[in-house]
Amino acid sequence: MSITEYLKDRLSVYMIYLVTLATALIFMQAFHIRTQCIIIVYVILLLGGGIAECWVFFRKKSFYDKLNYCLDNLDKKYLLAEMTEAPDFFDGRFLYEVLRQSDKAMCEHIAEYRRENLEFREYIEMWVHEVKLPVASLQLMCHNDGSTRYSEQLKRIDDYIENVLYYARSRNAEKDYIIKAVPLKRVFSEIAIKNRSELLERNISLSAEGLDTEVMTDSKWLAFIFGQLMGNSIKYEADEIKVYAEDFDDKTVLHFRDNGIGISEADLPYIFEKSFTGENGRTHTKSTGMGLYIVKMLCTKLGHSVQADSVQGEYTDITIVFGKDKLHNIQ
Amino acid sequence: MKKIMIIEDDTVLRDEVATLLKNSGYEVQVVTDLSTSLEQMKSSGADLILLDINLPFVGGETLLQEFRKVSDTPVIMLTSRSTEIDEVLSMSFGADDYITKPYNPTILLLRISAVLKRFTKTGGSQMYHDAEVSTVKGSIDRNGKEQVLTKNEMIIFQLLLDRQGEIVTRDDLMTALWDNDEFVNDNALSVNISRLRGKLADLGFEDAIETRKKQGYVLK
Repeated sequence: MSITEYLKDRLSVYMIYLVTLATALIFMQAFHIRTQCIIIVYVILLLGGGIAECWVFFRKKSFYDKLNYCLDNLDKKYLLAEMTEAPDFFDGRFLYEVLRQSDKAMCEHIAEYRRENLEFREYIEMWVHEVKLPVASLQLMCHNDGSTRYSEQLKRIDDYIENVLYYARSRNAEKDYIIKAVPLKRVFSEIAIKNRSELLERNISLSAEGLDTEVMTDSKWLAFIFGQLMGNSIKYEADEIKVYAEDFDDKTVLHFRDNGIGISEADLPYIFEKSFTGENGRTHTKSTGMGLYIVKMLCTKLGHSVQADSVQGEYTDITIVFGKDKLHNIQ
Repeated sequence: MKKIMIIEDDTVLRDEVATLLKNSGYEVQVVTDLSTSLEQMKSSGADLILLDINLPFVGGETLLQEFRKVSDTPVIMLTSRSTEIDEVLSMSFGADDYITKPYNPTILLLRISAVLKRFTKTGGSQMYHDAEVSTVKGSIDRNGKEQVLTKNEMIIFQLLLDRQGEIVTRDDLMTALWDNDEFVNDNALSVNISRLRGKLADLGFEDAIETRKKQGYVLK
């Protein structure tokens, strides 16, 4: 709160004060009061008024400055009222009370949405677990009857179900993952086996190098991420998928590279955005634009960075960087 | 014959798993009255137990905890709950493996035989007729004559040997190879099998691996 702002705000009050003083002067002169006397009275009045104004100004200034400071430095601005003390002057107190009440109302509102969101997510999780039972039964039935006719469709259903589950998980603020040392190889071969029939059918060769290393991540989430990347490679006509990891002192860099149709330069910066389908989504198989978006969200939550590099018609290389925290290596 | 007990509340799924196991040469005991699961687990004398997590009455995790106090029979948890937390919890309660639904049937069988093998260690060698098969050395030894197998050939031979006399599909062989991080294709599988045939013939086992058209292979 600057002094000029304050003075500007008080201008009308000062005008009235001046008019009052001028009126008083006219009356005092009409009563032939001595000039020295008038001067003394005016000095006293102006001095008193000045001191009073200064006191009021500094009292307000200290409160508003504190308020302003908190507002600038808080990352959750709605906690402002909790962070400041109630002032000792009336309009400040009034403002403070209003702020508190509206913050409280908003917090309740958010809590309600959060609860609803959580309930919805819990329902999705439950539904996913339930729907997996008939899928599992069908898969076994196919195997027991020796028919492979339906298994590809079953896998598609399972993939879509996984998408819903991980979308719900990635959106949620709750922490439902565990970061621990995960052997990359185990996760990768799990996904390779899952996609085996499609890979063999399309004659896609698969090679893995340097995966004999452990990274700090959640294995289930990572498996989903691999599944999405492999699904994309298959969808976009790769006939060679190469997965390799490079180990550095402070990080492990995993490359997921295929020689499919690639991504155009114009599309490349947007592929991790929600609902972005781009050129490939239009000219090739229908794309929902959700897969890589979910991948990005999961990576962000797990603290991995994910990047894409591609030359159209040549290759696509998705890189995931797993950080290494020295703390994890304490023996 | 190894006996496997299935505790699962989804009856359709349970019966399909039972069929799968029976077809693969296991004796199967199915728990139908889930209110007495724990008693049945204790008294069954099964070699391995497949246990669902989401069960009525008492949950699978609690069952496992109680069961572990009296027995160390191998238990594989089957579940549709797929978070890392569930897995870590189950393993800490004493599960030997954890498989999420829906599962690849061949993988399920491989995991079962892996867990069973861990519990009935025979010193790393098996017999095939009068030849000694050493998985550790990766070789077959007959009357002092030794044939060294490659990793892929060993995986194939091992699976055929485990199910000697039965038909093993190409799909099963492929799954076993992929499960061991050998991402081979159809051609490579054929090549590996013919090489394995050659090596077996060298040891005097002529036509040991029989091809059944459109079905798979049988080790005689």
